[in-house]
This record gives sequence, C-alpha cells and structure tokens, in this order.
Amino acid sequence: MKYKRIITALSVLAGSALLSGQGLAFDLGVVAFQMSAETHARCANAAEARATDLGWKTQVLNSNGDLQAHAEQIDNLVQKGVDGLILCMSKPVEADAQFAAAKAAGIPTISVVSGTSPHTLFDVQVNEYGVGADSALYLLGTINFEGGVLIQRFEANAGTRVRGKILDAVLEENKAVKVVGSHSMARTKSWRDDVRNGMQALILQQAGKFKGIWASFDGQAFIIDDLLKEAGYKKGDVSLVSIDGGAEVFRRIKDPESMMTATVSIPFEEMATAAVDSMKKIAVDGMSKEQVVAGPYLFMSAVLVDASNVDQVLK
Amino acid sequence: MGVSTRQIIERYGTFFAGVLLFIYLTIFADNFASVPNLLNILKQVSFLAILSIGFTFALITSELDLSFAHVCSFSGVIIGMLISDGVSWQLAALVGIAIGTVAGLINGLLVTYLKVPSLIATLGTSSVANGLAFMITGGVAFVGRWDPNFLFLARGKVGVVPLLVILMLIVVVLALVFSTQSKTGVHLQATGENEEAARRSGINTKRCKILGLTLSGVAAGVTGVLLVSNLSSAAPQMGGDFLLLGIAAALLGMTMFTPAKPNIFGSFVGALIIVMLSNGLVLLGAQYYVQDILLGIIIIASVAVSASVLKQAAFSL
Repeated sequence: MKYKRIITALSVLAGSALLSGQGLAFDLGVVAFQMSAETHARCANAAEARATDLGWKTQVLNSNGDLQAHAEQIDNLVQKGVDGLILCMSKPVEADAQFAAAKAAGIPTISVVSGTSPHTLFDVQVNEYGVGADSALYLLGTINFEGGVLIQRFEANAGTRVRGKILDAVLEENKAVKVVGSHSMARTKSWRDDVRNGMQALILQQAGKFKGIWASFDGQAFIIDDLLKEAGYKKGDVSLVSIDGGAEVFRRIKDPESMMTATVSIPFEEMATAAVDSMKKIAVDGMSKEQVVAGPYLFMSAVLVDASNVDQVLK
Repeated sequence: MGVSTRQIIERYGTFFAGVLLFIYLTIFADNFASVPNLLNILKQVSFLAILSIGFTFALITSELDLSFAHVCSFSGVIIGMLISDGVSWQLAALVGIAIGTVAGLINGLLVTYLKVPSLIATLGTSSVANGLAFMITGGVAFVGRWDPNFLFLARGKVGVVPLLVILMLIVVVLALVFSTQSKTGVHLQATGENEEAARRSGINTKRCKILGLTLSGVAAGVTGVLLVSNLSSAAPQMGGDFLLLGIAAALLGMTMFTPAKPNIFGSFVGALIIVMLSNGLVLLGAQYYVQDILLGIIIIASVAVSASVLKQAAFSL
C-alpha cells in the first residue's frame, strides 16, 4: 500500500513536470537536418532562443543527417499537434509526404535554407548564386586573376553545389586562373576525415603551384587552414576563401597565424529569428502569409567579411 | 513443474516493460494513443522491423551481419539509378532485392567456405557496398517525383492502414512461421545453438549459415525498396543509421520470450519499443539528445542481458 502511494506520487510528479508549461503557450517544433553541422545548429539554436524569448514552448529535434529519421520526426511532430514547424536545412522533395501531412493538419511550416515546397509558407534564404559569385570573385581578386587554385567542393547539398557551379562560371571567364586540384567531399557523416584526406593529398601534390583555395563552406576551410599550417604555410602565402560565417571563421580571419582570408557570412541566426517572427505574425497575430512574405522566399543578405571589417562582426 | 517468478521476468520482463512504457506514454503524452499516431508508429517501425528480422536470421545461426545497413543503401541507390534512367519501378525493385540477396549470399560464402569470421566478412562487404553506393552517386542522391504507383508502396494506405504496415506484418508472420514451424527454420536454430551437434545429426550447417546471412541480405534489399519509395530519393547513406538501431532491436528481442536466444518476434517487439520510445519522447516534448542517451542505455542493458550469445556470434571462428 505504501509503495503504491509512493509510485502514484512519483508518477504524478513526473507527469506534472513533463506537462508543465503545456498550457496555452505556442508549441513550436524545430527540426534541424544535421546538428553536427555548425550552420544547422546555429539555425536551430537561434530559432529556439527566439521562440523562448516569445514565451513559446519549443522542442528541437536533430535528424542526424538521416533522411528517414528526418521524415519520421516531422511525422511525430505532426502527431504531437504542434502549433508551428520550423525546419532548418530540410529536404522538401524527400519529405514531401510529411510536409503535406503538416499542411493537411493545419500546421504552418516555414523552412530555412531548404528550398520551396507547395506545402510550406515560404523558405528563408540567402541568394546562393550571389554568395557563390561574391566568394569566387573575391578569391580571384586576391590572386590578381591569375595562377593556380585548389577547390574543395560539396555536391550533395544544393546550396554548396550552386556555389561551386557559380565558381565554375567565374573560372570559365577567367582563363588565366587554373584549377590545379579539386576534391569533392562525398561523405556527410565522416566529412571532416574526407576533407582532410583529400585536401592533404592535393596540398602536398601541388605544393608551390597554387596561390588560392576555395572551399564550399567554412567547416571545410577550417580543416584546410589547419593542413596549410601543418605544411608550413604562413599568412599571405595562400588566399583561403569560403562561405557561411560565424565566430570561428571570424577568429581565424583575424588570427595572424591563419590562412583564412575571407568568408561570405550568411546570417543564420537572423534567418532563424526571422522565421520565428514571421511565424508569430501569421500563426499568432493573424496576418496573412502574403502580408508577411509575398513570394516563396524570404531573402536575406549575406555579407563578405575579411580583415577590413572582421572587427565589426566580432563585436 | 510450475514456472517461477524469475523465469516469468526473464521471459516477459522486457515485454512488460514495453507495455508499461505504452501505458505511461498513453497517460502522459498527448495524442500518443490516438489511432493516427499508433498507425504512424507502426509505419515508422516497418523499416527497422524488417531489417532487424533479417539480422536476427543471421544471429539465429550464430553469425553477425554488420553489412545490412550499407547493403540496404546500396540496393536503394541502384533502384534510384534505374528509375531515374527510365527503367520500370517493378524491375528496379526486383533488381534492388536481388542485390541484397547476392550481398547476403556473398557474406554466407565468405563465412562458410573461406572461414572468414562473420564480424570481419560483413564489415568488409559493408565497406564495399558503401563504396559502390558512393561510386554510383558521387555523393549526390537520386531525387525525383517518381511514379505514384511506386511511391504508393510506402506512402499508400489500404483503408486507413498504411500499406507499409501490412507489408511489414506479412514479413513478420512469414519469418515467424518459417523460423519456428519449418524444418529449415529448426535447422537454422540448431546450427546456431550447437553447430557441431547439428552437423553430426545430419544438418547441413554450412547451408544453414549461408541461408541465415542471405535472408539478412534479402531483408536489406526489401527495405531498400521501401525506403526509396518512402523518400522518393536514393542517397548513398540512407540506411546507415539503421545499423545501430537494427542491432539494438534484435538484442532487445533476445531479452524476451526465449531469453538469450535471438528470436523473430522478440526482434519485432524490440523494434516496436525503440520506435515507440522515439515517438513518445517527441510527443512528451523531449529534446533530441535525450533520445540518443536513452537508446544508448537500452543497448547497453540489452547487451548485458544477452552478452553470451552475442559474444559467441561475434568471435566464433
């Protein structure tokens, strides 16, 4: 009898703890495709932080880069009956059925850097074509539009693939720049090893034949930067340019030991915050989607950060 | 000859724990016991259940198959490639299942004729399958809005019941009947329990081991078809995350019904518990890292209970 009472009391306590805050607060589900990627984590964490500021109940899920897990997590949040969904770097084609289920259940969905879907309100994006052009032109400018370059690509992601294609278009117009080595990252789960192995080989093989390196995102550039340091390169020997932004890349741009020259900084935090604020306007304040965002995209601006303005972004 | 309380706990403890988990989630997680969510859970468990049942067949013969997840991905990639090239989805699906079957057969031959321990042989096959999947895709998934009839396999419903659930139940029943009621199934179990004794009693143990590993490959191929249908895409690592989960489901299954012995129904219930927990945690509002922590605890606990059989399967030469 005594044990029964204790078990009942514990169950009530546990239930109360789990159910606390489940009152009238807006219930937001946030799904990030792969939290081990810094950009995905920045998006999800910023969305959670903004939603918490608004007094919302927020649940963040990580799909660990697994498409089936991603689809199931969206399904589960739909079954939970969340009031809104924010999806960071999601997969609108692969999870089309889940996006449709969310819409059918009346759950407003906003994606960030995912691409558009007929089942979402809109996608918060930067113009990847513009971002690719900025990074490519900046790199070529630093080597006076001549000499050898190494390229680190990532074709499996739509955004980084677009960046690479724009780089190709820029290179096509500037024949004095030669690509002396190119590595394409294939593995998403062990991508750091993949980049390290591929670029280490190219840096050794092409030593002295390249003046610049382009990487499709900053995480790759960090590995390349470390490889260059290990190989004895000094700041100024090689220009290293990539894309994404964030505290670590800004630190490296300022670091006198680092080869990191510039990044095109994508405001992931601002994008996620804008997604939450838009969700509030539409789902809470009752504004129409068209009043908030006219088309399928909410475009935001990326900023090129180099030694000239890194102090501003580090503040 | 009554059954002791200890025996009941050994046989049904995990199952009862699953029932208690179900009751707990029904009480505390909003919408958990709603019909749409229960069907959602059954749909989600389909992939894991089929893969873990395949893995269980290998385990029944006291062999490990660590290749099933990457074979599943490779099979999916081939299906995606064929459909993208205009091949009919029916033929592509058959080819996908055939690839899984051949991979399993190769595992079986490596283990029985070349005497490579299954732990090593299947790790090698896994690596080859993974490499081939990347070779074909270059890391870029085949994505498309494919034939609705193909997508119906995993997304369609018969009445309110997802077709995927019906397919999974067919697989579970067939596997259960085959493993427990057929002569070959009994031979598989005898081979796993005591290979030497089984061989002396006239059972072709080599053939049994080849069959066990081949069935694991078949399950990987079938799951490849269903995954591609569900996601309308084929990526080189689409099945990768099922390795740990599939093993966990089978190990969890070994803690119930026939303790310390791999069994089909146990693997199915194990998969169901894992997916139910995953779904329930989302409905309870738990953050993502809680699920990983709990899954790790489940694996450690189930391995601790079924360690002796696993050790035998992993390290027997």
